[in-house]
Amino acid sequence: MSERDDLASTRHAGIRMSRRKFLITSSAAALAAACAPASTGGNAATSAAATAAGTPGAPLKLGQLLPFTKVYAELGNSMKRSTDLYLKLKGNKLANRPVTVIYEDEANDPQVGLAKTQKFIDQDKVDVMLGVVATPIAYAIRNAVDSAKMIYICTNAGGNALTRTTTDCKPSCKSPYIFRTSFSSYQISEPIGEYMAGKKGVKEVFTFVADYGFGTESQADFTTGFTKNGGKITGSLKAPLASADFVPFVTQLKAQPTKDIYSFFSGADAVKYIQAWTQLGLPAAGYKMNGAGFLTEQDVLAVVKEQANGAVTSLFWAVELDNPENKAFKDAYQKEYNLLPDVFAVQAWDGMQALDLALQATKGDTSDKQKLIAALEAVKFNSPRGAFEFDKDTHNPIQDMYMREVKTTNGVTVNTISDKIGRVTDPGK
Amino acid sequence: MTFEDALQQALNGLSFGALLFILAAGLSLIFGMMDVVNLAHGAFYMLGAYVALSVTRATGSFWAAVVVAPLALAVVGLAIEPLLLRRLRGRHLDQVLITIGLSLVIADFIRLRDDWGWGATVRALPFPPGLDGSIAVAGSAYPTYRLFVVAFGAGLALLLYVLHRRTSVGALVRAGVDDAEMLSALGVDTDRLFTLTFAVGAGLAGLAGVVAAPVFGLQPGMDVDALIYSLIVVVVGGLGSLSGAVAGSAVVGPADTFGKVLFPQFALALIFAIMALVLLFRPTGLLGRVRIGR
Amino acid sequence: MSRSLRIRAGIVLLAWIALVTFPEWSSAWESSRYVAGIIRQILIFAIFASSLNLLVGYAGLPSLGHAAFFGGGAYAAAIAAQRLSTDQLLVSLGAGIAGATLLALLIGFLAVRALGIFFLMLTLALAQMVFALAFQATDLTGGSNGFSNVHRPTLFGLDLSAANDLYALVCVAFLLVGLLLWRVTTSTYGRALVGVRENERRMRALGYDTRTLKLSAFVLAGAIAGVAGALSSYEFRFVSPNDVALGTSVSGFVMVLIGGAGSLVGPILGAAAVLLIERVLPSELPAQMVLGIVFIVFVVFARQGIAGALRRVARA
Repeated sequence: MSERDDLASTRHAGIRMSRRKFLITSSAAALAAACAPASTGGNAATSAAATAAGTPGAPLKLGQLLPFTKVYAELGNSMKRSTDLYLKLKGNKLANRPVTVIYEDEANDPQVGLAKTQKFIDQDKVDVMLGVVATPIAYAIRNAVDSAKMIYICTNAGGNALTRTTTDCKPSCKSPYIFRTSFSSYQISEPIGEYMAGKKGVKEVFTFVADYGFGTESQADFTTGFTKNGGKITGSLKAPLASADFVPFVTQLKAQPTKDIYSFFSGADAVKYIQAWTQLGLPAAGYKMNGAGFLTEQDVLAVVKEQANGAVTSLFWAVELDNPENKAFKDAYQKEYNLLPDVFAVQAWDGMQALDLALQATKGDTSDKQKLIAALEAVKFNSPRGAFEFDKDTHNPIQDMYMREVKTTNGVTVNTISDKIGRVTDPGK
Repeated sequence: MTFEDALQQALNGLSFGALLFILAAGLSLIFGMMDVVNLAHGAFYMLGAYVALSVTRATGSFWAAVVVAPLALAVVGLAIEPLLLRRLRGRHLDQVLITIGLSLVIADFIRLRDDWGWGATVRALPFPPGLDGSIAVAGSAYPTYRLFVVAFGAGLALLLYVLHRRTSVGALVRAGVDDAEMLSALGVDTDRLFTLTFAVGAGLAGLAGVVAAPVFGLQPGMDVDALIYSLIVVVVGGLGSLSGAVAGSAVVGPADTFGKVLFPQFALALIFAIMALVLLFRPTGLLGRVRIGR
Repeated sequence: MSRSLRIRAGIVLLAWIALVTFPEWSSAWESSRYVAGIIRQILIFAIFASSLNLLVGYAGLPSLGHAAFFGGGAYAAAIAAQRLSTDQLLVSLGAGIAGATLLALLIGFLAVRALGIFFLMLTLALAQMVFALAFQATDLTGGSNGFSNVHRPTLFGLDLSAANDLYALVCVAFLLVGLLLWRVTTSTYGRALVGVRENERRMRALGYDTRTLKLSAFVLAGAIAGVAGALSSYEFRFVSPNDVALGTSVSGFVMVLIGGAGSLVGPILGAAAVLLIERVLPSELPAQMVLGIVFIVFVVFARQGIAGALRRVARA
């Protein structure tokens, strides 16, 4: 930079008294604010309540770690809406205990996620922790919640290892304290592979996924399922996460002969992929888009609309799923927010519902962790996605997988249920 | 790769390069010619895109947004330059800090404005009707809009060249950077000149927001991506001239596109590798003259 | 030593003792554990920012790729400990420093030929290539999912995994780095660096090998960033590509600027300010916007950063 920059010398004249005062008072205020324990109110009162916490009737403190900034911010917003709605409908009580939820921003950074988790554990002393959208963050906090014996219900991060037995717990492994109400990437990728090769009789597939943990895992699991039933993967392509331009990649897809493409993308990437797919004329040239559910979830369809028509994906839920719980959930959500819920809202909802039922079983007792774990393992309920239960071994959901197809009727684009694959559980290894 | 594929990818590279130029033009003006490190350039782009979103929603017209968004950003620039940047001439590190601060404020503001239809949700700026389809190129469908972008980029470059060379304003700006005192002694209101230039640069960023956002989309983090692309183009091309931005985008666009095809495993850092390579062989950029007076 | 220097040294020593013993004298406080964790993070990033300050504030080398050495050091420490099946502090810390130094040598050698904005973009570009490596080399680094299960170190027989032991380690490292940087910046070497920043051509005319000066500063700064990285791997027991990402480089850069580049205590204050806003501010407030406003306010009102402002206050 220019040598005219003046860094260490004090060339300029003194500053006014008011500026000096402003700086002192603002730094002091910032320091004081930083040292005050967050959201714990009066220290003495809270300590007394804390020792009594675990007895029914005492306030229940939940910590929700969700992204509110950076790329996954909208998922965090959706999951907060769902959580707030659930509590509102339950009169802000779970098992007769008034609930306080502390929301913290994971900011798509494992360090920040870990720091906030420690805050939940050390400072806020929450009874149960929920949330986490990004898998690396879930992996980062796994040991912290496990050694603190903090019950943590994962409501999105789908990395397989979080609920599996692995060697040396690399990149992560299951913990008795960790439950998941979302999915494992295996569940949304392997069954569609088996289905396409088996029931649909597709012989060859070309895969195109986002080049990061989730994409690679999805591609591997799909390949397992597809080749198991005699299918052949003719080639693969990867696009860096958050690629600005998908056209060079889709051009390559068009340059190869295999018509069935399996993809994993989500959010903005899925939007750009589908746009490029349509603009380069792939549907007309006979190419078919298949993928794991997030490729065509509500957030994506709201933007691309009919451009996604015909895309086939597998997921454990669709907004069109026809069961009474889903209908009630959709109606309540729309009435409160004037928005259609998405799958992230369902996952957060089920996290609260599982916790609610488990707490009812323990009569609100959160002090006996083993009792609460057993209660969670035993919950069975009807979720907007259908029958929900935890796999007792992995704490991952056992849920129905559906084949969905994107259709547009009367200007509204949704995933319609085209078939049901059946109940799927994660293999756990 | 067959010939048709190569042709398609060449078009991809060309249109990507055009998009990069449109993106970087404003930064090239402010940074390259005014010597102001404007790290809020990406945020201006982002703001322009969201303004365009609101305008197209309200009026149903893409072309209305093409007019309004740059004007809105120019106004923002007119306000910001005298308020925050005027006293920081030549103080690059201060400019870095203050423009980073500005971009954080703008980006977070957009994130919070869910009630304006902005917010953190992934959104798309619709293509203008007429340009939203595909055209047959070498027997294959190619998005019309990307061809439009190439034409637009070329037109913009031509327009800026004419304004820069055929008018005295460009010369005045460059003179002002070299010796503001002398210039103002000659009776030129240098403050007003700089403010105007900054406003034009901001307006160009806003224009990029309208034209490039249909392709690149609207999502959190788009400001950082746009800033990085713009910096790469401006630096690779060599600071201080419009032709530098043209050269930079003409090289980076196709190189990145073909690089992604030929070396897919390096796709993630490819654009940085390209920049590093150029800078290692030509340390002041492709068309750069040595500007750092050491 | 002059009297004012002795007084200042005394104050610093007292402050450091208060800092190191914080977990002990605050143990009755409910928030003690939490705040101790925050202090550890601040000190780790203070080391990182101080090392960057050597480049930005003294040598005049604006590097936007410094996270490559922070994260590189973290990965090197974690990978070495795992591959060599050891928790020994000297092994992992040594590996962290070695890894960061090697990276700094490589990147520095390529980058110092460039000046100003070109140097900045070159360091950015080369660091992004390190990021890509960390992100994609899944077998080595864990890839995008990060490197988990990093152990806290043991010093020969002493297990440092308890939070308070790690706290002491971080404080000691912070003190040693501070002393090192103080010696470096007040030596003739340090003054030569400032000379290069002010007018490189003149320094060359005076016979200084400016390129070696700049490269050596770059490598030293990288090595110290590697120390911070290794410490962060112990603190979080996790290393992710975020640690080598552009965001971390920019974070360090603004910590230096807002604290007051070219002063020794500046980066510490800058690290504290940025981390407090980003990680401690109640989540109801928009942390990024607050951060941005703070940056703008400081440039407008307190150009020498927090350190400069405090200096003016002290002088008043």
